[in-house]
Parts: sequence; structure tokens; C-alpha cells
Amino acid sequence: MLRLPKFEVAAPQTVDEALALLAEYGADAMLMAGGTDLVPNMKHGLFEPKLVVSVSAIDELQGVAIEDDGTLVIGAATTLQAVATNDEVRRRAPAFAQAAGLVAGPQLRRMGTVGGNVMLDTRCQWYNQTHFWRKSLGFCLKKDGSLCHVVEGGSKCVAAASNDTAPTLMSLGAKLVFARRNSEGQVVRKTLAVDDLYKSDGAFNKKVAGDELLIAVRIPAGAPQHRGAYGKLRDRGSIDFPLLGVAVRIDLDDAGAVADADLVAVALQARPIRLKKAAEALVGNTPGKPGWDEAVDAAAEAAYGQCHPMPNIPGDHDYRREMVPVYVRRTIRAAVAGEGPVHHV
Amino acid sequence: MASRDQHGIHPPFADADGKRRFGVIGKPLRKVDGIAKATGQAVYADDIQLPGMLHAKTLRSPHAHARIVRIDTSRAEALPGVHAVITGRSMPIPYGVIPWTPDENALAVDRVRFIGDEVAAVAAVDEDTANAALELIDVEYELLAVYLDPVEALENCTDAIHPNPKRPERGNLSKRVELDFGDVADGFERADVIVEDDYTFHGTTHTAIEPHCAVATYSPDKLLTLWSATQITHYVHRALARVLELPAHSIRVIQPCLGGAFGGKSDPFSLEFCVAKLAMITGRPVKMLWTREEVFYAHRGRHPMRLHYKTGATKDGKVTAVDAKILIDGGAYSSFGLVTTYYSGQLLTGPYDFPAYHYDSTRVFTNKPPCGPKRGHGSVQPRFAFEVQLDEVAEALAMDPIELRRANWQGEHTKTVNGQRITSNGFMQCLAEVERASRWKERRGKLPFGRGLGVAGSMYISGTNYPIYPNDMPQAGIQLKVDRSGLVMAFTGGNDIGQGSNTVVRTIVCEELGLEPDMVRVVAADTDLCPVDLGAYSSRVTFMVGNATIDAARKLRHQIAGAVAAEWEIDPGRIFMGSGQVFDLEDRAKCISSMEAFQIAEARCDTLGSTGAYNTPTLGGDYRGGTIGASPAYSFTAHAVEVQVDVETGRITVDNCWIAHDCGRALNPMLVAGQMEGSAYMGLAEAVLEHHDVNRFGLHAGPSLLDYRIPTSVDTPELHALIVESLDPEGPYGAKEAGEGPLHPSIPAISNAVFDAVGIRLRHLPFTPGKVLAALRERRAAETAVGSAKESV
Amino acid sequence: MRVLNLTVNGDATEVAAPAHWTLLEVLRYRMGLTGSKQGCDKGDCGACTVLIDGEPQLSCLTVAALAEGHEITTIEGLLPAHLRAGGEGPDPVQEAFDRCGALQCGFCQPGMILSARALLSENPAPTRDEIKAALSGNLCRCTGYTQIYQAVELALAEATGAEPASPSWAPGENPWAKTPEGNARPAVGAAGLTEGTGVAPSGGDSRTNGKAH
Repeated sequence: MLRLPKFEVAAPQTVDEALALLAEYGADAMLMAGGTDLVPNMKHGLFEPKLVVSVSAIDELQGVAIEDDGTLVIGAATTLQAVATNDEVRRRAPAFAQAAGLVAGPQLRRMGTVGGNVMLDTRCQWYNQTHFWRKSLGFCLKKDGSLCHVVEGGSKCVAAASNDTAPTLMSLGAKLVFARRNSEGQVVRKTLAVDDLYKSDGAFNKKVAGDELLIAVRIPAGAPQHRGAYGKLRDRGSIDFPLLGVAVRIDLDDAGAVADADLVAVALQARPIRLKKAAEALVGNTPGKPGWDEAVDAAAEAAYGQCHPMPNIPGDHDYRREMVPVYVRRTIRAAVAGEGPVHHV
Repeated sequence: MASRDQHGIHPPFADADGKRRFGVIGKPLRKVDGIAKATGQAVYADDIQLPGMLHAKTLRSPHAHARIVRIDTSRAEALPGVHAVITGRSMPIPYGVIPWTPDENALAVDRVRFIGDEVAAVAAVDEDTANAALELIDVEYELLAVYLDPVEALENCTDAIHPNPKRPERGNLSKRVELDFGDVADGFERADVIVEDDYTFHGTTHTAIEPHCAVATYSPDKLLTLWSATQITHYVHRALARVLELPAHSIRVIQPCLGGAFGGKSDPFSLEFCVAKLAMITGRPVKMLWTREEVFYAHRGRHPMRLHYKTGATKDGKVTAVDAKILIDGGAYSSFGLVTTYYSGQLLTGPYDFPAYHYDSTRVFTNKPPCGPKRGHGSVQPRFAFEVQLDEVAEALAMDPIELRRANWQGEHTKTVNGQRITSNGFMQCLAEVERASRWKERRGKLPFGRGLGVAGSMYISGTNYPIYPNDMPQAGIQLKVDRSGLVMAFTGGNDIGQGSNTVVRTIVCEELGLEPDMVRVVAADTDLCPVDLGAYSSRVTFMVGNATIDAARKLRHQIAGAVAAEWEIDPGRIFMGSGQVFDLEDRAKCISSMEAFQIAEARCDTLGSTGAYNTPTLGGDYRGGTIGASPAYSFTAHAVEVQVDVETGRITVDNCWIAHDCGRALNPMLVAGQMEGSAYMGLAEAVLEHHDVNRFGLHAGPSLLDYRIPTSVDTPELHALIVESLDPEGPYGAKEAGEGPLHPSIPAISNAVFDAVGIRLRHLPFTPGKVLAALRERRAAETAVGSAKESV
Repeated sequence: MRVLNLTVNGDATEVAAPAHWTLLEVLRYRMGLTGSKQGCDKGDCGACTVLIDGEPQLSCLTVAALAEGHEITTIEGLLPAHLRAGGEGPDPVQEAFDRCGALQCGFCQPGMILSARALLSENPAPTRDEIKAALSGNLCRCTGYTQIYQAVELALAEATGAEPASPSWAPGENPWAKTPEGNARPAVGAAGLTEGTGVAPSGGDSRTNGKAH
């Protein structure tokens, strides 16, 4: 059997205890929620922490709550299954619920968490492999090596953000609450827009440090006429990571025209990317009215112009690019119709 | 053929009314091991834990082609917890499953031939220590030219992968077969239409969910015992004796419960030799469990083939000649490659009759994981090409594809163009079944754009009379032991790999001796306890083991019935055995239990038991290789599939697959259906999802069950098994194979259905959405060109 | 090495294992519960599925120490639980898998059966599409899934008293109907364990299936 490297494990009951352990162990500690990403990665020798800090036993990180202003607060260790089947989440943030319901397969959604998906490591066909496999090629930029096998001569890692929920959370303007211990040992919390979490570096695509613990995801109340959907391209109807993911948010005004829109794509490059021109193409147009089909086509065209998949994750990258306008069109239509997800099964 | 080999198609007993009825044959009886498997009690190789057992790991080559200059194991040996380290020098005798091509070593002796080739093995107290020791083995390699493309390997060979000093001109050639039957030139001359094209079959692999695992013990009295996840105990036994230089009688090989095989556990594998050698060196039991990644390197999967076919036909659809040229990418070793090369041509000659046939098949070594036998060995690839080409012939002649196939049916009790004997043949009924079930006549060619129906046919062997190593002994043997308790034990060398062969043995014993299923138990695939059987491959088990079982059980029946008749002083013909009872047909009051009958027989005849055997009749064409693919009976299959093509995404969705299969007689229809559905599923998966390939470095592109995409439940169409029974004169009660044939038509049927749906011909596997989109674009461009040409007229 | 307090199949158990062992390794190699299988090493195949607090999860990705405090059910737990609850023989899902021929090589089936068991506990009347979705994390390489769906549907029909649908291969008698021609009667009892299929009862600590070793 493929073995885990040796480590110790701790299961603190509170955020404070968890942060104390992170402070004590520093870079030797890693946070784990459901373990569905970290455990395979450790089996592949990608991470070798001395201490794994499980957050599963921390009550504060569990559950879905709704604040008075309509903000959805989702504990970071809430499972993907729990949010995908939560009626309030489905009603208030359909794209996010759909994305959570399409992550991996049934067992993994019962283990994997919202926080784990937000914090998912980037993926690459040259990286998510065993130690033997990677060593045979002299390793790569992201781990243990100095070469990039995706972009010959490349000096910046282009491993792909592959988390289904991230683009939906970006489209919803979600915020993340992190906690850490400062140099005086006090617990401090900060709130960060999901947009601001990610950066374009496949080696590590997040702007937070290893001692920061994601506590909750806060999704602000949507517009009265909020529409949303998620589209996911993958080979199989279950288990697989996205080959392309498209999140759509559309806010309609009282007349039924698009007042605001946001489109975000994932599984292309190191961070989820906002399809600004695509969204702009929709604004002011009214679904079902003359000009709408042209607007949707223009959005699809703009997305195609902006998205350039690379051979970082498995699958034909030219095909993935070809699917960008198709999935943009279909996901917009699904959102407007109150349907989705866009998925082949 | 001996009389023991043929038993007719009828039930063994006539009832009082003179009619013969089966007791258990034909019923959907549960499997012998079903509940054990359902409750987690079944013991698979990795479930075996022996006291003091060591764990072994393999060091593998990181290079695709290299000479081993030096191996230093001293640092590994010095690691605490390490008990032994072995290298190729520890077991230098080469082996190969085909005796004519022994080109493998348990561990590489002086050369590695693909990334993942085995170089050294370590036994240690636990897996972590063994893994740590691998890192301490120092190997110096001298890199050699790497061949990843078979054409390149054949045409520009500088460093032959298997150097042949006597015949250096062979280069990287593994095997070439060229055979000519009938007058091909005349056939094409007579043809009204000729279709000629190129086809590609990609690599795929078995992906049994159980990874390979082996456990060995060696006792001081020189008995080596190996438990291995193998589907051919007997060949492992022979190979161990050869490589370890032990007398075969001091080796015992046992196949525990097996977690799937599909051909992927047919070869003797490195881990079997390594655990045996390590057990001999250390005096401790040793286990090696391969990781999933290692299973992908071991491979032995479907050979990639580049196929060129040319078919001629008259205007009424009769095929006049077929010409094929096939390039086979063999990977790093021979494995069953000699047979693969023959099968690529030999097994095409049914269910259609054609008067002239020429094929030229060349297998080439490349520096990739070795290919071998996967379900439908060697014949799935040519069948794909040919059945697509037949559809193209039908299109050219504006004929219905089913009618074209009917027009070419070879008939029953006939001979193929390459000299193979055909006995029963239910192909026409298979066609009728899929035509009816798919509502072909109402729907084919009439569904809305994007939806379509396709058909394809095939034939396959029920074992062959080519026994891998030449010998005159039976291919299948069985022993029965009768106990005073009323229990009958059957000992079979056959390998139950999940297909249910032990259940077939039990059912036949029950039928012949009139027993209830729980009165028979089966011991299988243990070389100490069971007579030799050649194992689970070539779809030989039901046919050959089944016949051997009837042979053994009938001998016992005569003995028991004779004893009871003598006791009752009646004619033995009046004895009826059924449902665990024995009675006098003319006096029902005379009735005893089977157990009592056994005791009467034991008292009169001494300890009860019998042996049974099966061997094939003399078969095959009178030419070199003419016995390869010569089967005592062929199965026939037709599929109709219904697809949807999403013209925006290029994705093909198979909604329904109707599988009609002529299995001769369904000894257990539920198990036959399971084989049909599993076969069709596997073919469909090869067509649209799976691809076993290496990257530009020769390293496996994605050796995991995440990246090698076998279908989940939601990716699998509705499968409809339709059983056809042709009652073969030589099969056990008329049975033929069901485990491999029904895979073949899946793949071409999808291509043909896509043509019906959207008018594109997919000739190159796998049918990825990208290829579909490209073909749709090409078709639109062609239509536009035609359209503008018309306009300009 | 840690002493873990695991509740497995209803029993609180102490077992010593290194901290980096997965639950699958502890179940198989420390507790002898080898019914949970290992197929892919890393969460891709579902063969190692166990129920944790009733939910199907993957034991190969579960750090054993983190399973403390949760109820773990393995395939070995279903039959005893059914007997304890006053049932006869194996759990109805296990029984249906056997009756429908869903167990070919059987390697994926412990995980598959547990996923099916969890589905039926959660949803008393799933449609075929819901069955497919619930089992889509358990790869089977033998059956093409058809006989697995039929088994789940048979277990459902048995629970509700409905007549199960007849399979395509049995145009005449429905093999699963409540008639003498059906296969409701077990073909073989617990005594039907055979050696050659590797299902011998274990002797002592060592589990092999041959007599001489």
C-alpha cells in the first residue's frame, strides 16, 4: 500500500488550541480538515509535516448560520455534502451549493470540507504523482525541482487552481475569516475577500501563511433577484476534478434586466480567473428579450478570448479552451432559468 | 478426442415419463462464494497474514532504456530492519509465459526496458523500512536510445531493446505473421465496391480493483508455498520451478480469492519470484503488495494497434476479400505477444464468411510497459476496425448494416477461410435479438440529428487447442471425493477469478449426482490439492473444466447408481438421482438420501472418488500457426447501441447497449448475464474514456485510478443482456464461453451509432470529445464545399 | 505508537498503531478486519469505504487516530448487527447482492454494499438515478453495475413487499420473484466456504486458505 510519511496527529477542540499548536510547530505543522486532499498529497510525498493538526473536532468551525442581514456563515469544517444539501444554501447561493455537490464523489463530499476546498492545493499532472514518478523526471518547479514540464523553460509554476467552490465564492463576493496568533501570542482575526486570497503562483496560490486558520466563509446576502449556477467539465460524472469550472452570478433588476453579473472560471491557471468582459457583455440585457442571445454569445466570446488553458492538468488543453464558451453560455442560461448545475450527467 | 471429452447437450437423467429435465442447470443459482464475499469473509492475497511475515518492496527503473552498470545494495542491507536485498543476479534465469520467448527476468539482470521495470527487491520488518531501504540502493545506469513509437522502433533501431546477436537484423521486431487464404486478388477483382482505410486502437489496461499481491513461505524441508493473485496457477508453478531451480514437486502455488483479473494476472510476475526468493533467503514468510502505480507499470494490457483494412464486396453485400496490415505496439517484453500477433489475424474469420483473406501483422518492442492479454486478447482491435469497415461497405451499398451482416453469415457446422472448424453458430439469432430489442427497424436512420443506433458483431474462442507449452496431457483435470456425510468435494485446478467457474463446477456435480448445491464444495487452484488445469484465460474454463467435471461426475454416477441398483436388485436404468435423493423410478417408495446411497456405494466399492479430464480434438488449419485460435467452439455476439452526441461539446453518451450473446447454453443465466454486462461495460469504457499511455519521457501518463478513468456507475449505460442458446454439440450440456466475446462489438457499435447520429466516421480510438468536434467540423466544411460547388453549377 | 480507542462494529476496542497509519491499515493489519479492501491507495476507488457515524467515508484517507470517538461500521459488522436486531442471516443488502449475482470478484463489494446500505438507511425509496449517484464513488470493474442496481432494487422491493422487476436475461420466470423457481432460497449455507476460493475459516492468528503451511 502507498504509505503515509511518519507524523504525529493532534485534534484540538478549540481554535485557540489549534493556533497554539501551529505557533509551536511553525512550518512543521499542517492543518487538515477532511484530509481528502492532504492525505493523498502526503502519500505522494508532497508534504511531510511533523504534526498534522486536524480541525474536525473544533465546534466553532462546524455548521451553517444565517445572520440578520442575510449573510450566510459557513464554518470552514462543514462538509461539502452538508452545504450541497442545505436548503438555505441552495436557495441563497445556488452556484456554491451546486459546486459543492459536484466535488469528487459521494464519500469524499462527506469527508471534504468547504474550508478544505477553498484552501485546496493547486494541481498539475507533473505534480500530483508519487515520489518515484516525480523523481524519474528530476522533479518539477512546484516540488523539489527547478524545471517546469508544462512550460518548457518556464520559471513560474503554472499548476492549476482546481477547487470547484472557489469561483462560485468569488462570484458571490464571499469573505473569509482567518485567525492566527500574533507575535505577542494573542489570537487575531482578519477578514479577506476570496478574491484577495488567491495569487497567480501555482507553487502556492494563496496569500495567507501556514499559521493562519480558516474559520468561516461569509457569503453576503444576494440581490433580491439573484441568479447563480455552476458548470463543470470533467471526463467522468463523478470522482474527477474539474477540467474547467465556470461560476455565474446574475442580479436582475425589477424590469428583469441584468443589473450586475459576475463570471469566474477555474481549472485554467494558478488562480480562479474573473471573466470581467464576459460579465459586462450581459449587463443591461434582459433574458428572453431581443439582444439576449447576442449578449450571451458576446460573453462566451469574451471568455474564450481571455482563457488559455495549459497542459497542466490532464486532458487536451485545446479542447478545454474550446469548451470555455460552451460552458459559459450553458451556465449563464442555467442561472437565468434557475437551473444547474451544468454537468454532463 | 477421447470419449471423456464429449457428453452431449442433454440432462443426465430421464424422469419416469421418459423426459429429461435439468435439475439445477439453467437456473440462476447463487455463487459458491457470494455470501462470503458479501460479508467480508472471503480471503484475498493481501488478507493473508502469517506469523513473522516480512514485507517486500521493489526498486524500479527511472529510465526507459538503460544498461545497468553497477548495483550497490550495501547501504540498504545495513539498514536496521532489512532482512534481505536481491537483484537480477539473484535469479538470472529468464522466463516467459510463452516458452519460445523467455525474455523476462524476475529482476533486471543487465538492462532495464521501461520506466518501472523491476531492478531490486527488499524484504524488511515493515513496509516503511522496506521503502526506506529502496532509497539506499545505488544503481548506476548507462542510458540507451529510447523507443516510444513502434514505427521508429522498427525503422531506426540502434540499441535493440532485446539484442539478438545471432539475428541482429531483427532489431526491435518481436513477431511477424503473414498469412494468405484464398485468392485475395481475385476477390478484389470481383468486388463491386472496395472500402479501404486506416484505423487506430489505443492502449488500455485491465484495472482489476485488487492490486497484485503475493505471499510466500519456505520451510526447512524445502517446501515453497506461494499464495498469489494469479489467474493461471499452473504457469506460475512452472515458471517458479524454472527460475528458482527447484523441483516442481517442492512448490505449491495457491490462488486465494481473486479480486478481478481480465487477463492482467495471466503472466508470471516479478513479485511472485521475489517473495519466493526472499522467503528462501530469510526463512520468514514474505508478502509483497503492489501499489496501484506498480500495477499500471506491470500492465500486460491491450496492445495499441495501427490497422489498415481493405474490404471488397459485391453489390448484394457479399464480402469477396479482406486484406489487413497491422502494426502492434508490444511494449518492453514478449508476454503472450506471439499469440497476440496471430490472434490479430486468426480470429477475424467469423461470424462472416469470406473467400479470401490476407493479413500481415507485426509486433514491435518499445520502451513502454509491456502489453499482453486483455479480455478479448488480440482480437478486439481488428474486430473494431473490421466492423466499422463493414458499416462503411453497407453505407457504400446503401444497405441496412444488419442486413449486410446477415448476408455474410457463415452458417453452422462449417469451416472458415483460415481452416477453423465452426460448430454451433447462433449469430443470426443474436442479430434478430438486438434488432428487435433496439427497435432498429423503426429507429435506425430515423432518430433526430444527434441520436443514433449502431450495430456490430463478433466471434470468440472457447479456449483453444494450443496449450502454451506443447504436451499431450489433458487441458483440464478434476477430482471428486465422496464423503459418507453426503458431501462431495470437487478439486479443480481451474481459476475462479470472479467469473464463477467454481459455481459452474458445483452446479455440474449437482446436476450429474442429483445433489442440492450445499452438498457440494469446491477446492480450486491449489497445485498440491488439485489436478492441473491450464487456468483462466482464452475463455476456456466453462467449456473445458465443465466437460472435465461432467466426465468425473458421470463415472461416479455410474458407480453409485450401480451399487444402489445392486443393493435393490433392480436394473441401474431405474435409478434416479435428484434433489439429494435416490429412488427407483418404477417404485417411488424405494427412496433414500444421497448420503445413504453414498454409504451403500462405499460399502460395495470401497472409498469413492473419480477423476475427469478434457482435451481438445485435433483442430486448426494445416499451416504454421494454424492451431492458434483453433477452438472447439466459438461464441457469437451482436450488440446494438444507442448514443447521443452533443454537437457542442463533442461528448458521446451511450444510453443503451443491447447485448445478444450466443453462449451455447447458459449453465447459469445470471452469471452469463454478468459476464455479458461486464464485457460490454469494459468495451464501452475503452471506446470513450480510457487511455493507457506514456508521456514524452516514456513515463506512464497517469498511473492511478484518478487519472486512468474507468467508468463510474453514472458513466455506464443501461445494459441489456439477451442470452442466445445454440447448444453446441461439444460444450458441457452445449455451453460455450461468455466472458470475453461480448466485449468485442461494443466499440465498433459505438462508432457506427455515432455515424447514424451525426454522420461522422470515428476510425481512431479513443473517441474523445475533441476528436468528435474535429470530425464534425470536417464534415461541415465538406458539406459547405459541396454546397458551394452545387451553387456554382 | 499510540493506543487508539476505536469503536468498531459496536465494540469499543483498544489497538496500538503508529500515528501515521490510516484507518484502513489499522482495520486490516492490526484488527484483522480484512473485509475493507484497498484498491487505489489514495481515495479514488471506494473499495475501502466504511461507515463512520453511518456515513460512507474512505478509510484509506482517514487517519486512524482521528476516527476515535466515532462509530465505525465495516462490512464485517452488518451480519452480526442484523442478527442482533432479530433478523435472520445477513443484512438484506448483502443477501440481495448475493441473490442478484452482483458479487463477481467481490473486491469492490464490501465498499459498494456499505454505500448501498447507507443510501437505503437515508432514503427508503431511491430511484435508479439516485442509486447510481449514491454508488458513483465505488468503482466496480466486473459487473457493469447492472446487477448491483438490481440488488439494491431487490433489497428495496423485499423491504416494501413489492415485486422486483425481472432482468432482461430472464424473459420467462422472474428469478427474484417469490416463487419456487426463484433463487430466494440460499444455494449454500455458511458451511459452503470453500478452500480454493480463499474463503476458508481462519485458523488461529494466521489466515491462509491452504491446509499445509
